[in-house]
Amino acid sequence: MKTERLPETIQRNTPMPATPRKNRQPSSGKTVSQQERIKQEEFQEEAVAHINALYNYALHLTMNPDDANDLVQETYLKAYKFFDSFEKGTNCKAWLFKILKNNYINKFRKNAREPGKVDYDLIKDFYHSIKDAQSDSEDLNAGYFKSLMHDEVYQALNSLPDEFREVIQLCDIEGFTYEEIANMVESPIGTVRSRLYRGRKLLRGKLNEFAKKYGYNTDTEEST
Amino acid sequence: MNCKKAQALLSAAVDGELSLKEQQEFEAHIAKCADCQREFREAQKTKNIIREKIVRFKAPQSLVNSIIRLTETTTG
Repeated sequence: MKTERLPETIQRNTPMPATPRKNRQPSSGKTVSQQERIKQEEFQEEAVAHINALYNYALHLTMNPDDANDLVQETYLKAYKFFDSFEKGTNCKAWLFKILKNNYINKFRKNAREPGKVDYDLIKDFYHSIKDAQSDSEDLNAGYFKSLMHDEVYQALNSLPDEFREVIQLCDIEGFTYEEIANMVESPIGTVRSRLYRGRKLLRGKLNEFAKKYGYNTDTEEST
Repeated sequence: MNCKKAQALLSAAVDGELSLKEQQEFEAHIAKCADCQREFREAQKTKNIIREKIVRFKAPQSLVNSIIRLTETTTG
């Protein structure tokens, strides 16, 4: 099989092995080496376990289930090819997210929306395409209807400038630490802190009505 | 600690990312500053809304299967 070369951005930002992997087996052979089997098992245990998180992140970035599928597949293909460069015991989810983000930038950046500009038609299309894809999964189906109930939150989040939306997604939805986020967005921790502060402040203004309607008090009482 | 410093630490306080010393100083400040205390609670609520209301989709089984197949047919 042809050896794939990682895009420059990933080569620069992701630790790579010092030497190429040895003892490669020709893909034409039917027998899989013991080494390859161990790698497959480790990869499925370490990396495939994060597929739902990767898929959701891809959906948020692309707003399109087909593009999200492609992005996740390409991410796993690259991750598998370079799995030897992943340092065992470190955060595999963060490593995968960084590969996915780099893939996204390389693939979709040209068509990226302007920061802060809300394309409500795009959001509507996103829901319609999710609905079209719902036969793939009952969970997606249920999720679709839940999302319709709360699309004010989606719209508020998506209306934020990219740099604020990104850190809020990584922190509040995916649960990454500031250090992991700083590494992913290639900015100092102080910048992550400040983007979260400003992003949440912007969101708060947009979610005031939602908070009142759904019982999230906006005065000094505890939320329900 | 003054309000400016408290605001700089506010998101980290919401996310449990402060050092013990920073946490103590921040708590001491919001105990006596109603404005910063309100802002801290608002930020907590905003985080809670995002965590609770943004729907998490399950990856389609066809995608999961294709990733599994990919590891079986790709030599790293």
